[in-house]
Amino acid sequence: MGKNLFSVPIFFIVFRETLEAAIIVSVLLGLAEQIVQEDPDRISGINRTPAVVVEDSNDKGESGSDSSPTPPDAVFEDDEVQRKRLIRKLRIQIFSGAAIGFLIALAIGAAFIAVWFTQASNLWAKSEELWEGIFELIAALMIFVMGITMLKMDRAKAKWRLKLQRAFRNSTVRDGEAQSGKWALFILPLITVLREGMEAVVFVGGVSLGQPATSIPIAAIVGLICGLIIGFIIYEFASRTTLTIFLIAMTNLLLLIGAGLFSRSVGAFQEHAWNNLLGADVDDAGGDGPGSYRVQGNVWHLDCCNPEDNLDNEGWSVFNALFGWTNNATLGTVLSYVFYWLAVIVVLIFMKFNEGRSKFFGVESAAGTRRRVRREKQAEQTNEINSASVAI
Amino acid sequence: MYRLVPVPGESSFMGFPISCFNFLLAGVQEIWWNITYVDDANPDGLFERRVIGVNNTWPPPPMDVNTTDSLLVHVTNSIDKPTTLHHHGMFFNSTSWMDGAEGVTECGIPPGESFDYVVPINSSGQWGTYWVHAHASGQYVDGLRAPVVIHPPKEVHSYDEEFTVILGDWYHDEHSVLLNKFISIANPGGAEPVPDSGLIYFAQNASYLPPISGTSPSSVTSAVGFNENATLPFEPGKTYRLRVVNTSGFAMFFFWIDGHDMRIIEVDGTDVEEFPIDMISVTVAQRYSILVTARNDTSSNWAIHANMDTDMFDTVPDALNPNVTSSITYSSSASVTDNGFVDEYSTVEDTLLVPSDKINPPPSTQTVELEVLFDTMDDGTNHAMFNGITFNSPLVPSVFSELSLGSNASVASAYGPTAFVLNHMDVVDIVIKNGDAGKHPFHIHGHKPFLVGRATDYTSDDPTLNPPISDNQTNPVRRDTVHIPSMGSATLRVVADNPGVWLLHCHIEWHLEAGLAVQFVEAPLEAQQQASRVPQVMYDHCQTLGKPISGNAAGHASTTDLSGWRLGPYQQQLGWHAKGIWAMTGCVLTAVLGMVTVIWYAMGGSISEEEMEHEVKEELDRKARLKGKLFGVFQSGNRS
Repeated sequence: MGKNLFSVPIFFIVFRETLEAAIIVSVLLGLAEQIVQEDPDRISGINRTPAVVVEDSNDKGESGSDSSPTPPDAVFEDDEVQRKRLIRKLRIQIFSGAAIGFLIALAIGAAFIAVWFTQASNLWAKSEELWEGIFELIAALMIFVMGITMLKMDRAKAKWRLKLQRAFRNSTVRDGEAQSGKWALFILPLITVLREGMEAVVFVGGVSLGQPATSIPIAAIVGLICGLIIGFIIYEFASRTTLTIFLIAMTNLLLLIGAGLFSRSVGAFQEHAWNNLLGADVDDAGGDGPGSYRVQGNVWHLDCCNPEDNLDNEGWSVFNALFGWTNNATLGTVLSYVFYWLAVIVVLIFMKFNEGRSKFFGVESAAGTRRRVRREKQAEQTNEINSASVAI
Repeated sequence: MYRLVPVPGESSFMGFPISCFNFLLAGVQEIWWNITYVDDANPDGLFERRVIGVNNTWPPPPMDVNTTDSLLVHVTNSIDKPTTLHHHGMFFNSTSWMDGAEGVTECGIPPGESFDYVVPINSSGQWGTYWVHAHASGQYVDGLRAPVVIHPPKEVHSYDEEFTVILGDWYHDEHSVLLNKFISIANPGGAEPVPDSGLIYFAQNASYLPPISGTSPSSVTSAVGFNENATLPFEPGKTYRLRVVNTSGFAMFFFWIDGHDMRIIEVDGTDVEEFPIDMISVTVAQRYSILVTARNDTSSNWAIHANMDTDMFDTVPDALNPNVTSSITYSSSASVTDNGFVDEYSTVEDTLLVPSDKINPPPSTQTVELEVLFDTMDDGTNHAMFNGITFNSPLVPSVFSELSLGSNASVASAYGPTAFVLNHMDVVDIVIKNGDAGKHPFHIHGHKPFLVGRATDYTSDDPTLNPPISDNQTNPVRRDTVHIPSMGSATLRVVADNPGVWLLHCHIEWHLEAGLAVQFVEAPLEAQQQASRVPQVMYDHCQTLGKPISGNAAGHASTTDLSGWRLGPYQQQLGWHAKGIWAMTGCVLTAVLGMVTVIWYAMGGSISEEEMEHEVKEELDRKARLKGKLFGVFQSGNRS
């Protein structure tokens, strides 16, 4: 049941992509508000040499525009009302852009999956295990990349803010026309959501190929809702620390799934080889117990707990989807599971080192050196300022 | 019955006028069998293959013997592997080593060597229909098989003429090739090789009936008619005895004759009271004699049907015709009436047969239960087991162990894990329970046990399905090969009056090779008294083949030390064992380590919000510059 109606990997993929889209949209919302606050003319269309102002603030702007000066409140009494109206208008733009992007992604995704399951399914019907193995392998590798990049999502907010600011600025500067700035706040979320949506479609497509089509909708919808809720919570309430903790939990879950998928893909390849070996007698080797598996290279075989037994798997399929559980482990599946995690460990150590957040046997990476130098410089400056103020 | 004229195709050696010997050596019929390969035999007309024949001919000549004579078979092995001859159903009382079961009663005749099998027919009190076949590495499936007919001075039933009807399944590949496929990790379900065709041919007076004139069968076997090319000549009004023997490696046959009634009068060498029947089922190695009274009209010839039981086959290939037909000819000008199909196959209820020579068995003194099981073993191949143990041929033939172990010979463990020791004149009920999904023909050597009971479901408490065995039996049927359907059982009462070692096994050759056998070590101390009668050449053969000739099954003077003898495979032990537990621990450990690394990566060595933004900006600037450069190059290129 579990496997047929709820695909755990698909849930997590949709969840993750939704979360990312939600973060981007929320950044955009914040950005819009900020722009209106500091520079409403650019949006409203009154030409007041806007580009220079924005550029200035950005070139300085370590911490964005928070520190940049806002126009004095006293200048226009109507401004406050106008701004609020403007912000509302912009929000509507952003949300409608996101909604349209989502709809397009949904349409393409539905078409994509429909084509997969009606046309391409003939492709792998003949040697199901082989295809299952290939798709599980693809999914495992995708999840590997996804899980690891997800850990950097606490930096996504900053990244996206800068990126969007830049994109926004570029579009206004290049066109020189104020109208396009208005469209930017519509097009950017549209493209963002569409992009994340397409990513999700590709991932879902990749992962779902080994699974029945019925397992997609519920998992996707639940993933979508969860992603939106968590995205909203993160945006509204959470500090970066809570986000980090949340990301750690999510990544670990994703990697557990990924390791399981990797191990299962090796299992599927071995199963395929086994079926080839049996040839015509493959029908005799169903189920569990002696004769259903290859003895050579087997590590454990239980005459129960088979996640692929559709009639009576008693939740083992969930265990299988989450952790790659099998009642028939081989050297290949065990080693692949272990090596997946070893790869995670090696990559993470390397990344942390490369980002300059950790030393490796006393060696520091370029990024680390840069940051240290910059920190030292800043420390010097503060010291100088401090000493200067002391001197005064 | 002695042959006076050489049979066409046989060497003159074989056709030597034996009557001279008869005159000189009264009471001994001598036969010379030079076991040879015969190339390009094609009895079914479908495929030419190498077979194992005798004196460069195939099929091996049928034997006809009188009970007044002893049979002496001079065998020369001219093939490239050890061989034996087993006279199926013969008692060999106290001379177990003549039984011909490779690994149990002898080491086998090495290539190029000879051996004389003495079959003491004049003293065994046996007559009827038997057969002879190789009992070594499946050679009989490759063709080394022939009927043996033993004539008493006066038959119980009267008839005008007799024929032997030889049935057999036929493979186009050699047995060793098929065996490698059968016992293989690629065949964990143990699907037996399916025969490529079936054969029926006839013999009379120690020679095979030739093909119908006008047909042109394959040259190698042109002297013998097979299937459609074979026919039985009947004359109106006469009564014929047909001795039906199934020499198959695997398949059971259903046999009937269109337009004729049948009466069973003999089963496995036991004369029985006439038992009318429409169709007989003959498993591998079983024999029935039937009386058939010829019709009074000669307007039509009639089809003889021998259909293989395809229920036994894993698959029925499209190319296989499991239904063999031959004919009874009244007139060569008439056409054959073939009524074709039957609605339903039926098996002979052999417990209903009443032996003519009435013997009430003694009450049993002990019971041996044997449960049949097939499974994929711990080496991934499928094997058969009695009571969970698969049979392995001992290194020392068990007969030689029995004769050389002294007082230890009474200890069953000395013969390996699948032996039972019986005391002299014990009366043993052997209950064979077929827990397998298929049907099996079980054969015990050296005896013709009383079939004292059958159960349709041996696991049942219902006395109609699993009736209790009565100690006081009135003349139950006696036969040496008993058919047991799935989940059924048969109880064989054996009187341990034959010192020696006797194999009990499934006569489906694939199943014997898969280990469906046990040994009965009978009256070891009595057997040892005959030890000096063992021909020295048997020990020489063992030594030629590099096998030990004394001690326990592994050649040691011990009852327990079987070192050097490779036993098994064994049943799989599923579940959590050390290997699995270690692997699981390793998986969990690396997963935990990985997750800890994730935490370590995300926490600590942190960067401030400001630094992060700075770095992102730098990265974006770098990208923008790169883009700008490329764009610039592109633009400048355009300008020029």
